[in-house]
Amino acid sequence: MPKKFPEWIRAGWASGEDFKFTRELVKEKSLHTVCQSANCPNIQDCWSRRTATMMVLGNTCSRSCRYCSVPGGKPETVDADEPRHVGEAVKEMGVKHIVITSVTRDDLADGGAGHIAETIRSIKAIAPGTTVEVLVPDFEGNIDAIRTVIEAKPEVFSHNIETVERLYPTIRSRRYDYRLAIGVLRDAAAMGGSIVKSSMMIGHGETADEVEQTMRDLLEAGVEAFSAGQYLRPTRKQREVADFVHPDQFVAYEAKAYELGFRFAVAGPFVRSSYRSEELLKTEFARKKLGLKAENAA
Amino acid sequence: MKIEVPLPSLGEDANPEAQVSAWLAKVGDRLDEGDDLIELVTDKAAFTVPCPQAGVLTELRVDEGADVTVGDIIAVIET
Repeated sequence: MPKKFPEWIRAGWASGEDFKFTRELVKEKSLHTVCQSANCPNIQDCWSRRTATMMVLGNTCSRSCRYCSVPGGKPETVDADEPRHVGEAVKEMGVKHIVITSVTRDDLADGGAGHIAETIRSIKAIAPGTTVEVLVPDFEGNIDAIRTVIEAKPEVFSHNIETVERLYPTIRSRRYDYRLAIGVLRDAAAMGGSIVKSSMMIGHGETADEVEQTMRDLLEAGVEAFSAGQYLRPTRKQREVADFVHPDQFVAYEAKAYELGFRFAVAGPFVRSSYRSEELLKTEFARKKLGLKAENAA
Repeated sequence: MKIEVPLPSLGEDANPEAQVSAWLAKVGDRLDEGDDLIELVTDKAAFTVPCPQAGVLTELRVDEGADVTVGDIIAVIET
């Protein structure tokens, strides 16, 4: 008997020439995407708009969070051509805004910060005018690594809080720590220059009060942009969904986020930190903070 | 012209397996490109697969409840 999902959990499946274009481009440039590795249900939506969230530093993660289907195991040799390939792919996509993420690389002395920074610079060199959002690991709190990324001038620096403090030991790899994550965001915010963003999953068993507390903790650290989406179990190997949270609750979370002081907030069952992330860059807040010209807002 | 409709790939690193949850059209229906054809479920979510080309749906090649993989022919359309 096929598994049942609530009627609001319906996504589109792959089709169309634009989808195929993105798929071929990703393959041609030997790139990994979190879209594929996490089985994101938005893949048809985003790839049909010729955008994808590329995941650098290989397809093998040095941590094992219980909601994530990115494989663990022996870390891959860092591909020195990857920053250039990412830049070329972004140019061919012709997008105004791109999100770059990575696996966690505890095996590298800088946690991969240098490679991520080089990827940002490569995009800006090969596809000038593209705004870049990076979604980074915690670099074990290494402030030099955080600075390396900030100095490459991404328009948005993102580190996902993922869940509430109480659930950290349950759903994340034990190397992750809530206070450490808040600290990474605080350090990035203090350095200035980039908009600081964080996102979380809803549906692991957290309460609305705990979500609100998380929002407060993020704001206090200097986080400006927030997003929240429904946790969906990528494959049978990941933990089950605790709750399919009603779309009305997501509306309430988004309203609460703005009420508490985020400059940009979006919440919905299919919202993800990268999903239509260019919407943040179109806001007056972002344009003013980053000194963006009007054409980025179009 | 008879067109076999395969289940399209989501990408090289993506999980290719799904189960048929429900047919959204029946044999004899005249469909436009993009009309809902079939609903699938994966471990992650439920998906609606669109009709890739306009035509008449002449064959349903998989049953509700069946497992399908990327590349499997799921239907035949007469354009």
